[in-house]
Amino acid sequence: MTPEERLEELGIELPRPQRPVANYVSAVETGGLFFAAGAGPPPGPDGRIPSGKVGRDFTVEEGYEHARSVGLVQIARLKDELGDLGRVRRIVKLLAMVNCPPDFDQHPAVVNGCSDLLVEVFGDAGRHARSAVGMSSLPFEIPVEIEMIVEIID
Amino acid sequence: MGTIEERIASLGYTLPDAAAPVANYVSTVSVEGAGLVFTSGHVPRNEDGSFVTGRLGDDLTIEQGYEAARNVGLALLASLKVELGDLDRVERVVKVLCMVNCTSDFADQPAVANGASDLMVEVFGDKGRHARSAVGMASLPANVPVEVEMVVKVS
Repeated sequence: MTPEERLEELGIELPRPQRPVANYVSAVETGGLFFAAGAGPPPGPDGRIPSGKVGRDFTVEEGYEHARSVGLVQIARLKDELGDLGRVRRIVKLLAMVNCPPDFDQHPAVVNGCSDLLVEVFGDAGRHARSAVGMSSLPFEIPVEIEMIVEIID
Repeated sequence: MGTIEERIASLGYTLPDAAAPVANYVSTVSVEGAGLVFTSGHVPRNEDGSFVTGRLGDDLTIEQGYEAARNVGLALLASLKVELGDLDRVERVVKVLCMVNCTSDFADQPAVANGASDLMVEVFGDKGRHARSAVGMASLPANVPVEVEMVVKVS
């Protein structure tokens, strides 16, 4: 089953790819690796980007959902840039940054939202290395920002 | 035992058991085409497997932070050994990202990160000399003092 078929089976519609907000690009492909810039959650049904800290404004479960939606943004980018998600050989590495108060310690449970999605969509090729950490702030107060390295098939 | 493992033993270090990830991810990913291994962020553990905890600038000294970073370095070497079979396959430690759990006015992240960097150079010599970022985090999982990830070039 292709990742596209898997997305359809899961009933997932990819968000529109986000455009960078400054003088950088969404992704750079070099040496068989695809480096994706940090992404945040897409706008919700109300058209607004979610904002707030996990552990203060959002529960861990809500944080998980936000991390999952960031994963969708990154998959949308891959689709946009590669054309075919079948070109993904392996999701290599995530750096997942959670916007949270200093006493928060459940970062892995939040970041699992993205990790679980990648394994659901790409199977074993979606199993990645990752770091999950806490930030004192993120741009526009988004709750989660995740950057990604992917190995691609030329 | 390979040359690097002999060096580790002669330095008086013992590699811990490679820790299993706590969720839906893996400790290391090899990109064979590029000859690179990317590691997950590793964290320090006590001998009983529990996490070392605490925050720099609050309840840990810089020396304790340095020890914790070296502890993480040994955990990284343990995971690399599982991935590679033999640490002699390491051609170069390329890049280290050392994330320190600290108060907002703490400024000695490099002195903490040196715990991991010094270990890599002790163990691998010039091949252990790496690019690095050392930064402060508002919080880390389970309140560990330091989390370190690494990119390694392998043969």
